[in-house]
Amino acid sequence: MAGKTKKVKAPVTSWERNQNIWGWLFILPTMLGLIILNIYPMFSTLYQSFFKTGDFGKGNMFVGLENYTTLIQDSEVWRSLWNTFKYAIIEVPFSIAIALVLAVFLNRKMAGRSTYRAIFFLPMVAAPAAVAMVWKWLYNSKFGLLNHVFGGNTEWISNPKIAWISIAVIGVWSILGYNIVLFISGLQEIPKDYYEAADIDGASGPAAFFKITLPLLSPTIFFVLITRVIGSLQVFDLVYMVMDENNPAMKSTQSIVYLFYQYSFKYGNKGYGSAIVLLLLLVIMIITIFQMIAQKKWVYYN
Amino acid sequence: MKKKAIALFLSTMMVGSLAACGGSGNSSTGTSTDTSKAASTSSSAASTSGTASSGSSKPLEVVIWDTNQQAGLQQIADLFTEETGIKVDIQVKDWDSYWTLLEAGATGGDMPDVFWMHSNNSQMYMKNDILLKLDDYIEKSDTINLDNYMPEVTELYQRDGSTYAIPKDYDTIALWYNKTMFDAAGLSYPDDTWTWDDMYDAAVKLTKADGSQYGFAMNPSNDQDTYYNMVYSMGGYIVSDDHKSSGYDDPNTLKAMDYVGKLLTDACPSATTMSETGTDVMMQSGTVAMIMQGSWMTAGFLANDYMKENCDVAILPYDATTGKRASICNGLGWAAYSGTDRPDDCWKLLEWFGSEAMQKKQAELGVTMSAYNNTSDAWVNCTDVFNLKPYLDIAKESTSDVKNELILRPYTYNSTVWSMGASTALVNAWSDPTQMEKVCTDFAAEMNKAIAAENK
Repeated sequence: MAGKTKKVKAPVTSWERNQNIWGWLFILPTMLGLIILNIYPMFSTLYQSFFKTGDFGKGNMFVGLENYTTLIQDSEVWRSLWNTFKYAIIEVPFSIAIALVLAVFLNRKMAGRSTYRAIFFLPMVAAPAAVAMVWKWLYNSKFGLLNHVFGGNTEWISNPKIAWISIAVIGVWSILGYNIVLFISGLQEIPKDYYEAADIDGASGPAAFFKITLPLLSPTIFFVLITRVIGSLQVFDLVYMVMDENNPAMKSTQSIVYLFYQYSFKYGNKGYGSAIVLLLLLVIMIITIFQMIAQKKWVYYN
Repeated sequence: MKKKAIALFLSTMMVGSLAACGGSGNSSTGTSTDTSKAASTSSSAASTSGTASSGSSKPLEVVIWDTNQQAGLQQIADLFTEETGIKVDIQVKDWDSYWTLLEAGATGGDMPDVFWMHSNNSQMYMKNDILLKLDDYIEKSDTINLDNYMPEVTELYQRDGSTYAIPKDYDTIALWYNKTMFDAAGLSYPDDTWTWDDMYDAAVKLTKADGSQYGFAMNPSNDQDTYYNMVYSMGGYIVSDDHKSSGYDDPNTLKAMDYVGKLLTDACPSATTMSETGTDVMMQSGTVAMIMQGSWMTAGFLANDYMKENCDVAILPYDATTGKRASICNGLGWAAYSGTDRPDDCWKLLEWFGSEAMQKKQAELGVTMSAYNNTSDAWVNCTDVFNLKPYLDIAKESTSDVKNELILRPYTYNSTVWSMGASTALVNAWSDPTQMEKVCTDFAAEMNKAIAAENK
């Protein structure tokens, strides 16, 4: 006993102990939230994916890897995963590129700047379900505003060839404001001296943008990229609100989280739903790891 | 480096929150036994205090899925509040979120007090003791006698000799048509002499080449109100009588679905258009001349000026070969949650909704036809704008020498899986009607598999 206590190098003062207690107290609410809402459900999902779940969560039956073997052979799962990628391929690059350009403009001194910023940020404030409803009406091939104004009979959301693009457009539109805010805060961290020096050397406009703004903004761009890739792979509300079960384009737009919702909450097959969502977790982890490795090549930290 | 650390942390958070999204259902499942226990202990504690202060200020939570019925039912509920002092709060969820809400509520042990039950899901809810058993209450009650209701509806909500819901209403299907369009085309209105072929011919004649008007409209999800009726009239079936196998590959079913394909090709708007707009909206906006709709839609159509001015109702056509006219019939039940903390108040409300006077009132207000015997005439007379008699006529033995049949909406233990599966599968046949036979036979196999996998 005596030997053990001797290992402690310096006695903990009461001040230090106090600090420790307060430290833990301060992070307690966050930790509790994380454990109850994120970490516990994560393991619970994993656990559940090995079961054939009974009605109303009663009488679960252990089935081992059966849900996973079904999943691998289920073409619907892979098609939904592919649909999700199609959505992400449009949403991520466009929402980042457009937001970046707009952020640079909105960062300059000009009249009504805060008004513009508010306007671009508005879609973020509106509830996603409401946004999707309004777009659904705009897109309606018979009575929609889009076809009314531009003429023609384009079936924006029911033609399987273009429906996925129409949905991704809503995605880009709704996330723009959020990306702009992040980019503006990143832009404001870039010291003005660089631009002044560049100006003296005769580099301004596009040259300054590519040689100064982009590299110095790369940590912010990287952050937005990572969060948007993850966010877009989890797309659900747009598909759920815009697409109807009768819609011929449903098959080519339904996302993997939509499929998870359908199995878990409509068909009451939570075990299989859990397996589907764990597949997505795996995919997202792999993509994120690759991004983490790749960032060493293009992200500059001061 | 600091930023990198932050970025890394935030991205792990995002991955984590994804799992949370996946887990929300499961976490409640994992703890369901504990919560339901907790709920039952608290409910027994609360019910002792609840009986003492019956008619407490907290309103009974009631959830339904049909907006069209809300106003009428609220009126009936207000009378209940006047009588008993118990407040009632009626909320409407759309069909899909209704069942999601109920399922999640039943799993987590937090349900509305009183709600509608439907034959699609009733077996599952009854077997798992989610619904309040009503046997003792019914026995003691002076108002409720189950012999007074349509036996078909009563039976839907009974399992192993116990009753779990009070019959609310019943519904049948009829043909809605646009008089103005029929007049303009010089065609006579649909009547009880019509066969399905007559309807097809008229629908084709009413379809204009420029796409401004179509003869008929239906979506893959219009099963109960549209293609089921054709299937049963032509001698086919959807679910076998023992509720164990699919009828989608039955030759007569295929014959009916072939007829559906013909209608889709020659007289309906494109599948894409119908899926975006919905057949009832097309009818109300004067784009289609005929649709088949359930009696439950009447209240909604009565609120539409265009419908009131131009449209009316006819009995469904019959099949010339079988000589049979068939309407799918279904009935809802009023059920209460078995874990409610005020079971006696809930029963009072069920009793109120099921009483002869209120069933009659429901019909008179035009909410729906009522399940209580001999109250349907009140519903037919609720309006003189539409002729609602066809909805009742089809319940008679025969109309102008054609045999009428009421078919209970086909169901199994968990019908949601295959009935939604059918709409999804049929979407392909709707886009390309030449695929109809293949889609149906393929789906029959899928449906048999789904029925076999039910938890029964």
